[in-house]
Amino acid sequence: MVRPFAVKERKRKKRAEKYDREEYEEEQQMEVAKKAMIEKPNSHNEVEAAAETEEITTPELDGIPIAPSDLKTYKPKVIFVLERASLEVAKVGKTYQLLNSDDHANFLRKNNKNPADYRPDIVHQALLFILDSPLNKAGRLHAVYVRTDKGVLLEVKPHVRLPRTFKRFAGIMLQLLQQLSISAVGKREKLLRVIKNPVTQYLPVNSRKIGFSHSSKKLVNMHDYVATAGSDVDLVFVVGAMAHGKIETDYTDDYISISDYPLSAAYCITRICNALEGKWNIL
Amino acid sequence: MAKTSNRSSSDSNKQKKNNTKQNRSGPDAVAMKVKATKANPFETIWSRRKFDILGKKRKGEERRIGQARSKSIEKRKKTLLKEYEQSGKSSVFVDNRIGEQNDELDEFGKAIIRSQRELQLKLNKKVKYNLSDGEEEGEDFSDGLGAFPEKDDFEDEMLPDDEDEESASLKQINARNVQSPRDIGLMEAEENKHKSKKEVMEEIISKSKFFKAQKAKDKEENEHFMEELDKKFTSLVQSDVLLSLTDPSKMNALKALVNKSIPNEISNKGSSSSNRRTENFEQEKPDYYDKLVKEMALEMRARPSDRTKTPEEIAQEERERLEQLEVERQKRMVADDYYSDEDNEVSEKPSTQKPRSLSGDDLGDSFSLDEDAKTKKGWVDEVLGRKDVEDFVNEDGDSSENSESEDVVVGSDEELDEHEKNLSLKDWEQSETIKGGDDSSKARIKADSEQPSKQLDLPYLIEAPKTMEELCALLVNCSNSDIIVVINRIRGSNAIKLAAENRKKMQVFYGILLQYFAVLANKKPLNFELLNMLVKPLIEMSMELPYFAAICARQRILRTRTQFVETIKNPENSSWPSSKTLFLLRLWSLKFPSSDFRHAVMTPAILLMCEYLMRCSILSGREIAIGSFLCSMLLSVTRQSRKFCPEAIIFLRSLLMAATDSYSTSHQDSQFYHLMELRAVRPLLCFADTTNEIKPLNFLMVIDLPEDSSFFSSDNFRASVLLAIIETLGGYINIYDGLSSFPEIFLPISRLLLEVAQQKNMPNLLHDKLKDMSELINSKVDEHHTLRRPLQMRKQKPVPIKLLNPKFEENFVKGRDYDPDRERAEMRKLKKQMKREAKGAARELRKDNYFLFEVKEKDKALLEEERAAKYGKAKAFLQEQENAFKSGQLGKGRKRRR
Repeated sequence: MVRPFAVKERKRKKRAEKYDREEYEEEQQMEVAKKAMIEKPNSHNEVEAAAETEEITTPELDGIPIAPSDLKTYKPKVIFVLERASLEVAKVGKTYQLLNSDDHANFLRKNNKNPADYRPDIVHQALLFILDSPLNKAGRLHAVYVRTDKGVLLEVKPHVRLPRTFKRFAGIMLQLLQQLSISAVGKREKLLRVIKNPVTQYLPVNSRKIGFSHSSKKLVNMHDYVATAGSDVDLVFVVGAMAHGKIETDYTDDYISISDYPLSAAYCITRICNALEGKWNIL
Repeated sequence: MAKTSNRSSSDSNKQKKNNTKQNRSGPDAVAMKVKATKANPFETIWSRRKFDILGKKRKGEERRIGQARSKSIEKRKKTLLKEYEQSGKSSVFVDNRIGEQNDELDEFGKAIIRSQRELQLKLNKKVKYNLSDGEEEGEDFSDGLGAFPEKDDFEDEMLPDDEDEESASLKQINARNVQSPRDIGLMEAEENKHKSKKEVMEEIISKSKFFKAQKAKDKEENEHFMEELDKKFTSLVQSDVLLSLTDPSKMNALKALVNKSIPNEISNKGSSSSNRRTENFEQEKPDYYDKLVKEMALEMRARPSDRTKTPEEIAQEERERLEQLEVERQKRMVADDYYSDEDNEVSEKPSTQKPRSLSGDDLGDSFSLDEDAKTKKGWVDEVLGRKDVEDFVNEDGDSSENSESEDVVVGSDEELDEHEKNLSLKDWEQSETIKGGDDSSKARIKADSEQPSKQLDLPYLIEAPKTMEELCALLVNCSNSDIIVVINRIRGSNAIKLAAENRKKMQVFYGILLQYFAVLANKKPLNFELLNMLVKPLIEMSMELPYFAAICARQRILRTRTQFVETIKNPENSSWPSSKTLFLLRLWSLKFPSSDFRHAVMTPAILLMCEYLMRCSILSGREIAIGSFLCSMLLSVTRQSRKFCPEAIIFLRSLLMAATDSYSTSHQDSQFYHLMELRAVRPLLCFADTTNEIKPLNFLMVIDLPEDSSFFSSDNFRASVLLAIIETLGGYINIYDGLSSFPEIFLPISRLLLEVAQQKNMPNLLHDKLKDMSELINSKVDEHHTLRRPLQMRKQKPVPIKLLNPKFEENFVKGRDYDPDRERAEMRKLKKQMKREAKGAARELRKDNYFLFEVKEKDKALLEEERAAKYGKAKAFLQEQENAFKSGQLGKGRKRRR
């Protein structure tokens, strides 16, 4: 008998999630393989370069022994999750733009939205503070995840050099949200990606997930709080990147407030980074 | 006629269309069976939006997928199904009737179109001349369709209307009697425009009138403006403002002009007068301008100036000038009487040839001319220039020497009568660092060099001497300034740039001159003025012969060193350098760059000086003076490069030790004391008595003094030496400020200074200076100590992670290919398009197949059904028969059938 079209035709899916569909594991494996390929000559070069710099910079300190490096010990990693980031693309006029409260106030009002909710600059600031911290420079940051208000999950690699100006940041976010990934200049490595929800699948297993909110009853001193964390536990900090409201996540183990006053996302991150740098002696 | 009919038909068509659209829900809907069927519930479903993007309106988002599908099925039924049905047939019935292709028309519309076509055919030319039966027409009209009477009526109405209009317009034209018959014909052709002809004419007329009025108005305005301008101008002329700007002569003319025009204006105020006046102005004004232009044209054009001369040319000129002067001198020697006459003649020639006029008497200028040629200022000038300033300073603070001055003032006595001899060591040192010379010094040099001009016995062209004797012979009985003049003339007449062989000559001459300098420096009554003057030509020549000069210097240093090594073997002899060596060393330090890290001459020279300081034993006051002079010279040499000379520091320290009466037995610097013991420093600088009089040391005087002079054991000498030592030490402290080992070098000295300050009989001034110096050292040491860091383990510098720049576009538009390679991007685009098209085509084909399959299945099912029905029928018949047969009714049944 004739088969009706509907059977043959793919069934209409539920609202599909849009994300960079590249196989995560596969990519990881590829990277590992590549690293293995590159590592050998690279490490050799590094050693040479290090030797050279030593010779150049400290010729008079020849007899002084070098402090032992602690490369072998396990260093706990840090992951930041920015929740409720307002990164939304809209068609304004003829072009697509990242909505922000300054430039699109009228547009948003026309569409019955509150312009005060569209604050991508908070995300920009927060990301800059995370990526500029010595914590990141020391290689302790594992990744940054950004979850937008619309539920899109972005992954930001720690070695990305974000644009410093907001306009360029808006450009990069626009491209990321439309193209689903941003690669490095001259490389195929992807620095920014849209990934599949939920964020918990990317968090390490033995990690401590800490949410931050001014509304929390548990007011702590961040330095003390960080000091209590074990040396083998990875830390996940969930910070809200929105103008108003609070984060509502079900995966956080702890929910703390670190100041008597409501803090901006950027300052909250600075405090976290400072505490960790103090703990791990990163100057 | 044809047109009108056409138009009307199309109008009616439109009406019909509208009707059809409106009436679709009405009775027509019954005919369209497909639509009439009950709406497919799937068709009512709208596709949902996948992603909610603000402000985005997508076409694809709002379609009804179910409806689209049923539409495509409809379409296939019309096309594919037809084809499929035709596929089995050998011939086709094609309906080519008029209007049959058009789906939108209903039967009635089709009928109208057909009848119109028929009418058209009839109205064609051919048909026109065909005699019709009349019946046909009648038939046609009556037969045609019920609607035609209406149409007739419409046409009837139209035609007379047109005619009426035409006739009316014709009447109009005739009445006017304007248009030619041809025009009328044209007008007939353009019937539509007839109506507005009159209006057009009126319009044209009004327009031309308007333009004329405008022109007149413009003209009037122009005139008015001119008048105003004239008035302003006359007032301007009368108000004398213009007077200041223009020539008075022209001004007069202008005024006359204006005056003339003013009465004119008064007499007749009409526009004609103003016109004339403006013309007048226009004639006059260009006159003045033309004059200016002509004047400009007559002016001289700018000429190119002489180019700057090359050094070769300058040398050549110098040589020529000297030759000229020599010729004159010879002439004057021969016949003194005629010289006034000839001189004029001769001296005029060069003046015409060269821009610089030179008379034979003007020798002083020749010197300065030479100086001008050399851009670098002579060293002597600077020293002499400094002298004035120095004297001034010394007068100011004789008793209270300014303690900040870094340099040692050993000499610069005012008691010395001769001004030129009043040389201080300060000048020796500073002459190098200070580049700005005073004008007064130059003037003095000129005055000095003017003296020989009175003596005319010096030859102008002098061959370069080849041996020392020749030079001595040449310079014997010459005054100091004459010697310099002779040397300059030798250099001028044998300039290297003139000829290649002159280089050799000059090299020889340079060697001889250097020897002469050395000999002069060793003479016991020192001719210091001459030495000073010799430095300038020596430096200039060494600049011309840099390589040779360096070789000379090296050879001399080598020889001095070997001599020194020989003399030092005998401990009784004083091995300190002679004044010749000192002067030569000083000369080289002026000649060659002392700040180079490694220099062919200066490095050995510095090493030699250091060796003197290290190895020579200090036995007498004279040696102390020489040593301190060497120290200050080293200071001046190393000031810029900040090279560390431990010998000088240790020497100064040992001198300070000599100022204490007892050996302080500090155990810290045993090494130093070991050295001191080797040199066996006696307390030479211990004050025997109190002296309040401290004078800067004059080194030249000290050198001239014999070894066993009583001056060396006087307290005055001690005080001045101590002062010199302190100043030199201050200089070293400032130089070695940046050394990281500064505290280690200078702390013991600071202690020693305090110790010396504690000595009895120490003059107050010296005491204060010693204290200040030690404080200075202490403060700097403290500074260094605060900057020192404790020893640490070396840390591996943490390497920050390598950052990568993300690649993104400034104005990103989705779907645009940002590949910089155009061709590749284009290729990719085409490929993409092809893929898309292929996919679409495949999809269409697939759907076609499904559709066909369905149709075939349906046919098959139909056939099957038919067959089954037939089979059933036959079977029923047979069963009935069998039944009848079995029941024995065969005959019966047949009967019945019949």
